[in-house]
Amino acid sequence: MSEQNEISRIEAAREKFRAALAEVRTSSEFQELRNSWLGRKSGRIAEYTSLLKTAAPELKKELGRAINELRSIVETAIAEREKEFGASARPKNAVDITLPGRAPQLGHRHPLSLVRDEVMEIFTRLGYQVLEGPEIEDDYHNFEALNMPGDHPARDMHDTLYLETPIAPAKAGALQPSRPLTLLRTHTSAMQIRHMENNPPPVRLVAIGPVYRKDDLDLTHTPMFHQVEGLVVGTGITLADLKGTVSAMARELFGSAEVRFRPSFFPYTEPSAEVDIRCFKCAGAGCALCKKSGWIEILGSGMVHPAVFEAVGYNPDEVTGFAFGMGVERVAQLKWGVGDIRLFYENDLRFLEQFGI
Amino acid sequence: MKAPLSWIREFVDVEASAEEIGAMMGLRGLPLESLEPHGDDVVMDFEVTANRPDCMSIRGIAREIATAYQLPLATAKAVALQTNGKLPITIEEPELCTRYVGAVATVTVGPSPKWMQDRLTMCGVRPISNIVDITNYVMLELGQPMHAFDLDKMRQGKIIVRRAKRGETMTTLDGKKRTLTEDMLVIADAGKAEDIGGVMGGAASEITSATTRVAFEAANFTSSHIRSTSKKLGLKTEASSRFERGADRTAPPVAMARAIQLLEEIGAGTFTGDATDIYPRPYQPKTMRLDRARITGLLGMEVPDNEVEKILKSLGFEIAQAPSPTSQAPAAWEIVAPPWRVDMHRMVDLIEEVGRHYGYEHLPATFPGVEQAPPPSDPRIARDRRARTALLAMGFSESITLAFIEAKAAEPFLNGNAPVTIANPLSELFAVMRPSLLPGIIDALSHNRRHGRADVRLFEIGTRFSPNGETRGAGFAWTGLASLDHWSGARRPADFFDVKGVIEQLAAAYQVTPSFADVSALYLVAGRAASLVVNGQAIGTFGQLVPEIAEARQWPRVDEVYVGEIDLDALSAASRAETLRAAALPRYPSVVRDVSILVNDSLSAETVRGTIRSAAQPSRDASARQALELIDIREFDRYQGKGIPDGKVSLSFRLTFQSPERTLTDDEVQAAMQQIITALTRDLEAVQR
Ligand SMILES: [Zn+2]
Repeated sequence: MSEQNEISRIEAAREKFRAALAEVRTSSEFQELRNSWLGRKSGRIAEYTSLLKTAAPELKKELGRAINELRSIVETAIAEREKEFGASARPKNAVDITLPGRAPQLGHRHPLSLVRDEVMEIFTRLGYQVLEGPEIEDDYHNFEALNMPGDHPARDMHDTLYLETPIAPAKAGALQPSRPLTLLRTHTSAMQIRHMENNPPPVRLVAIGPVYRKDDLDLTHTPMFHQVEGLVVGTGITLADLKGTVSAMARELFGSAEVRFRPSFFPYTEPSAEVDIRCFKCAGAGCALCKKSGWIEILGSGMVHPAVFEAVGYNPDEVTGFAFGMGVERVAQLKWGVGDIRLFYENDLRFLEQFGI
Repeated sequence: MKAPLSWIREFVDVEASAEEIGAMMGLRGLPLESLEPHGDDVVMDFEVTANRPDCMSIRGIAREIATAYQLPLATAKAVALQTNGKLPITIEEPELCTRYVGAVATVTVGPSPKWMQDRLTMCGVRPISNIVDITNYVMLELGQPMHAFDLDKMRQGKIIVRRAKRGETMTTLDGKKRTLTEDMLVIADAGKAEDIGGVMGGAASEITSATTRVAFEAANFTSSHIRSTSKKLGLKTEASSRFERGADRTAPPVAMARAIQLLEEIGAGTFTGDATDIYPRPYQPKTMRLDRARITGLLGMEVPDNEVEKILKSLGFEIAQAPSPTSQAPAAWEIVAPPWRVDMHRMVDLIEEVGRHYGYEHLPATFPGVEQAPPPSDPRIARDRRARTALLAMGFSESITLAFIEAKAAEPFLNGNAPVTIANPLSELFAVMRPSLLPGIIDALSHNRRHGRADVRLFEIGTRFSPNGETRGAGFAWTGLASLDHWSGARRPADFFDVKGVIEQLAAAYQVTPSFADVSALYLVAGRAASLVVNGQAIGTFGQLVPEIAEARQWPRVDEVYVGEIDLDALSAASRAETLRAAALPRYPSVVRDVSILVNDSLSAETVRGTIRSAAQPSRDASARQALELIDIREFDRYQGKGIPDGKVSLSFRLTFQSPERTLTDDEVQAAMQQIITALTRDLEAVQR
């Protein structure tokens, strides 16, 4: 009884094979099909042949005939399609294109360097000149000229790192006598002063570079970090111009152009404002990134204080200007979701290799 | 500044919730840091900027809220103080203490009532006793710090405001014995200092349960003086943090009246009627001009006149004169600033007040016009980009390391200079400014090694520091395999010639023709170190890092590390890129010949190349030189070992000849080759193979 079933199963297998063969599209599928039917050990035909050993003598003949018939059909059909799919279809010098390529090694950009370039590009396009300045500064350019005389309480916000031995300055600004360089600049604003001392208005610049504060290394602080500082001075420059500028920058950097100003205090600007952008992740609905507020703080800014203009020899009755300062690390953290600021200074290849070139 | 909402509401009848107030005030310059429920009250913690000491009080905060919500502010709660001058007070230093109000009360010391204790606690001030609590309560409410002396402990019942004597000591209320200096101001009795004026009281005249007579103090101390005293003593108190930002000189009698009112209200004692107000430096009201046009000119938005006046009046400013509607003169206000606004100096200060309360949400977003073409950017930016691009293309990843390093790590890189040392470093790890980029990069290698990466190429472009100033450099390190592991085999560790190749390519990136010289550097293995020389000046160094240095930074000494550093300022100064002229392509084909020779292995490749070069172009024959030029010499094989005698090396060169005038004949090239071989044999005892 069971052998009778086997016979009809073998006969039905012819159709199964034909259908499977019709489905074959690639050489590997073809090889697979051949193995599954003609394979010596586990092919279907081998499997059927093994049934002969145990079959009842009276049915052996019929079973054998059915198997042979199937084998002949399969072999013929496979041979027919061999040209199309078989081993002989591959050119002799064909390579295994799935093996890894021999890639020349390409380095990866540091994310802070990427942000720095992006910001420079944006502002260059907006007609700014980009400047870098000295990292070791004198007290005058870092504090005094920025309306922070010796005992100004705002100096507390800048935990300053001082040099043990001051360095003699190489070159001084036009208006200021040479002063010994005594400290690591706490902000790129020192560059504003150096530029304005030596150039008449109008001014339209961004200064980029490392700055230093006596902050312990933790999740959100490093004793060295990078700042972008913008300064525009001319006749009729307003706080509304600052809003338009920051909004243009935010749109390019984060894809979010809605900004809001919150009044704040910096000694070198009056009025002063902190600037938030509409959270680009939740569009203002509130999420973890914006701490549910819908807004993300990105920079400090304001209208240049008249005392700063006086310090550099500009007439505050004739010109006005705005200035803003932004942390490069902060931008990179927001852009790429980097939680721990220390990652930027570990230079772990597993981190760096996530960024392009 | 912590402020319970119930207390704020005693001054301004604001209906909004604490959350709503917080959101509103954030847009008006008084942001909320946190909210904390406290029973059926809520404590609002406002972040007060350094310029606003007046907001370090409940009334000051209430005034801002009243302005934001256009609500009236409740007037003072106490009647004016009557003084009779009977408490003996002397101010010896009127520049440091501009006013001193003292009043005497008989008291019964005990705990203050619960409501008062609750409010102090909510504000983060520990309740002590009814008398001390009253002084703190008034300070929190009005912003005027106060103090209370046990009058019976004051020698001769006198109060003298004077400078401390040299070496004078005093135990302050925190139990610490302090040695004072002559530049500090003290409140003394007839004998000793009893209080560090405006900073902290003394233990000797402290209020105790036995105290029956107190002298309350409400004084004004000069901000810069308090700031320096507080700094020198390392002592910051609620009082000093208010005085150092600047206090209202008209406030002391108001605060005193309020203290007396509270004293009697809670039944802690009675004012004796003896009160003295010494006021050597009376407050001069500040009159300021505010041009209407300047508001628009600075903010870029128009604020209606009535809004300007409403805002300023609400903040306590007086409009002394409004702009005349008919006058042809520029429209301006004369404004008198309130005495608590110590931050009012210029017109822009007034404009900020108007702007922030009118609301920056009304600001349009405009874009400043470009008046002239922008001057060029710092040339270093484009210049550094070349080195960055070249290094990235050579497989180096960009690193950024902290510019301060350990003193020990800097030592081998000082190159004879003194280190640039930080006077107040965060820790030993950040003690000196890096003289070289390499120590930071080496640490980054070690970091990667600790995390399973042995094949590392890193570079950094940044500033190096020396007593001569700052220079910009590019530093790099290469360790591990010379190329990525590949199934086709051929692994090879990076070696000296890999870094030399990097230096050569960097020079090429700046169109600089490099030459090389032996160099000794403390951080490089002797005999495996070289300098890059351009126009006779060494502008870079490279070679194998001394294993001990790597080991000291947790790098296994057996793994070779190759490093290099170039002065980018000097490299770009030597660059020919600016004057580059493209040469026309040769019109005639070049001819290539190989030559293999055996020479002493002590000869440098440069010596052999030099001999070949001069033999190929004998300078005496000008026409020959023109006709045939040796345009390239390339070592393509160097072999020592089997079949080569000891002390010898087999060198193979590929020489390329060309003429700018015609196609070279075989004979010509052959003659040149013969000259070269003759010179090599004659000058270098070479044997042709
Ligand atoms: Zn969000």
